[in-house]
Amino acid sequence: MDLGLKGMKAAVTGGSRGIGKSIATLLAEEGCDVSICARGEEAIAATRAEIEGHGVRSFGAALQGRDGDSVRQWTRDTCESFGGLDLLVCSLSAGGGTNEERYWYRSFEIDLMSATRAVEEAYPHLKKSDNASILIISSMAAAETFVSPMAYNSMKAALVTWSKQLAEQYAPKGIRVNCLQPGPTMFPGSNWEMIKVARSRTYSGVLRQQPTRRMAEAEEIARSAVFLASPAAQWVTGATLRVDGGYTKGVQF
Amino acid sequence: MTIQRVKPGDFTKTPIEKTDDPDFGTDMIPKERYTSHDFMQKEWDRLWTKIWNWGCASQDIEEPGDYIVTSLGKEEILLTRQPDGTARGFYNVCQHRGNRLMMGQGNATTFRCNYHHWEYKLSGEFENIPDIDSFPQGKPPCGGLTEVRVEEWNGFVFFSLDPDGESFDDFIHPLKEHLGPYHFERMVKVTDWTVEWECNWKTSVDAFNESYHVQGIHPELLYFIEDKHLQIDTYEKHNRYLIPFATISHRVNETTEIPHLIKHAMKEAGMDPADFDGRVSEIRGALQKHKRENGAEMGIDYSDLNDEQLTDDYHYMIFPNITMNTHAEDLMLFRQRPHETDPDKMYFDVQMFKLFKKDEEPPKRKPRNERFKHGERSMGLVIDQDAANLPGVQRGMHSAAFDGLWLGDQELRIRHFHKVLMDYVGED
Repeated sequence: MDLGLKGMKAAVTGGSRGIGKSIATLLAEEGCDVSICARGEEAIAATRAEIEGHGVRSFGAALQGRDGDSVRQWTRDTCESFGGLDLLVCSLSAGGGTNEERYWYRSFEIDLMSATRAVEEAYPHLKKSDNASILIISSMAAAETFVSPMAYNSMKAALVTWSKQLAEQYAPKGIRVNCLQPGPTMFPGSNWEMIKVARSRTYSGVLRQQPTRRMAEAEEIARSAVFLASPAAQWVTGATLRVDGGYTKGVQF
Repeated sequence: MTIQRVKPGDFTKTPIEKTDDPDFGTDMIPKERYTSHDFMQKEWDRLWTKIWNWGCASQDIEEPGDYIVTSLGKEEILLTRQPDGTARGFYNVCQHRGNRLMMGQGNATTFRCNYHHWEYKLSGEFENIPDIDSFPQGKPPCGGLTEVRVEEWNGFVFFSLDPDGESFDDFIHPLKEHLGPYHFERMVKVTDWTVEWECNWKTSVDAFNESYHVQGIHPELLYFIEDKHLQIDTYEKHNRYLIPFATISHRVNETTEIPHLIKHAMKEAGMDPADFDGRVSEIRGALQKHKRENGAEMGIDYSDLNDEQLTDDYHYMIFPNITMNTHAEDLMLFRQRPHETDPDKMYFDVQMFKLFKKDEEPPKRKPRNERFKHGERSMGLVIDQDAANLPGVQRGMHSAAFDGLWLGDQELRIRHFHKVLMDYVGED
């Protein structure tokens, strides 16, 4: 099956590590120009080199996810650099935190507002695309009680509702909007890698609930993400796809 | 990831120079030092009775008449505060029939033996012997309790059983200069535990003299300390390593989420991890800066400490048996004492001292020494992990298939310790 991605222009927030990076590099492999943003200069440089290794253009900027102006600027600069935009993937996340007040603001800014800001800036460019789509990376943690009460889960839930409303509003404009809910995912430098060592009981508790007894690899999430974002999923919009290896137990009708 | 270190020319009172690594060779350390009754006896005769021993904290005997009994092997020592403010120490034994004189700790105007009420002044001389006229030979000619040498330094009381041994200053050199800036005398003791462990006292000393075991025994610390690239310094008797805290080990990948122990260290200093936008590897430096800038407001005086002392563990061993995890706001002191008779057993003392911030209330009552056996209660995850491991090490030392310790460069302090040990003991 041809995903139809060749020659498209894509932007991935938080595309220098983990799931975001896997999505960015897979999009490049499929022939897209790819732009990323993240905190670390070195990780951005390394990922851009990987992207360009697939013979496509790259763009990138180091920024703080809760700095709204920077997120907007990166989005505008990406569209200008690429001369347009077809795909936007919002993957930036503050990760889990605690239930303390400042973490609510942090998750709100980084997980939720970075997505809304990027979408707002990208919209005029996506409107002009023949095959525009937005993919919002939520989490299976939005759909099921997971670990402990904290901002992360709630912000990821907010993204689901928001993406569904966007889908309806943008459908007439030819922009598809979908949402992806990855389950626990392991990659080098992932928070789960740290939790496995530093909070081994939390880790084994989560793993026991995973019927496959292992966590996802970032590439396994990325393949579903890239399909949803691609023209191959042309008739899919307003969908929330859970990719969790069977972690969640609720039945979705 | 390179860890930022204090450099020559930066502010420091505690010397930071790296000592040249001594060449102690690569010979195996014979296991018999850990298992043999014969070696244990030699240690008693040539080490314990010759050196300066850590006795108690000065605050344990704060007021005149305060006393505390500490034991070392078969001996018990009574340490006490005199009316003139000095500390003195005596063998804790009644000169009448040999009964133990005092127990535990408390305050006394005289020391009175329970058995026949022989009574001694705080200065050790006889105060009263009931029915003295029934002793035709009179009082024992010793005049009272047998005194031991006592020195007090930096909030601690040391004693020596050797009346003619080296001076305390010679013994402790060069640590006065090293540890003075921490002002342990300002810290308040919050924990006082004694645990009987099923291992030789040196098995325990060794466990705290290297960080090579962190990746094995304490994996969660890989997300809080740099366990390998650290500075080891050896002095005449004592040694140390300087181990970076509030960072992550080179053995693990940097995460986006701040590891929980680092978060805890930030919160303790009033830094909200949710508002930190840098990378995990940048936290240690930021935390040092934050403490430097906000110490006075928190009511903590950091002025004698260098920047890395604000986050790191300057980990000292006072030869032969004191392990000190020194931090800017606290001290975790371990004392490893030999058992009375059994080389396979020891007493592990944990004493924790803490600086209290302006808005923190120190405990109203001094902690009393709590005694228990390994496994009866938790001492916190990290010490529990060591405690669970050590009996297995001691057991293995008795195996026919094990000859001795095969040490690497990360275990230089253990080699140095054995060098000094054998300077005292002389022969295996």
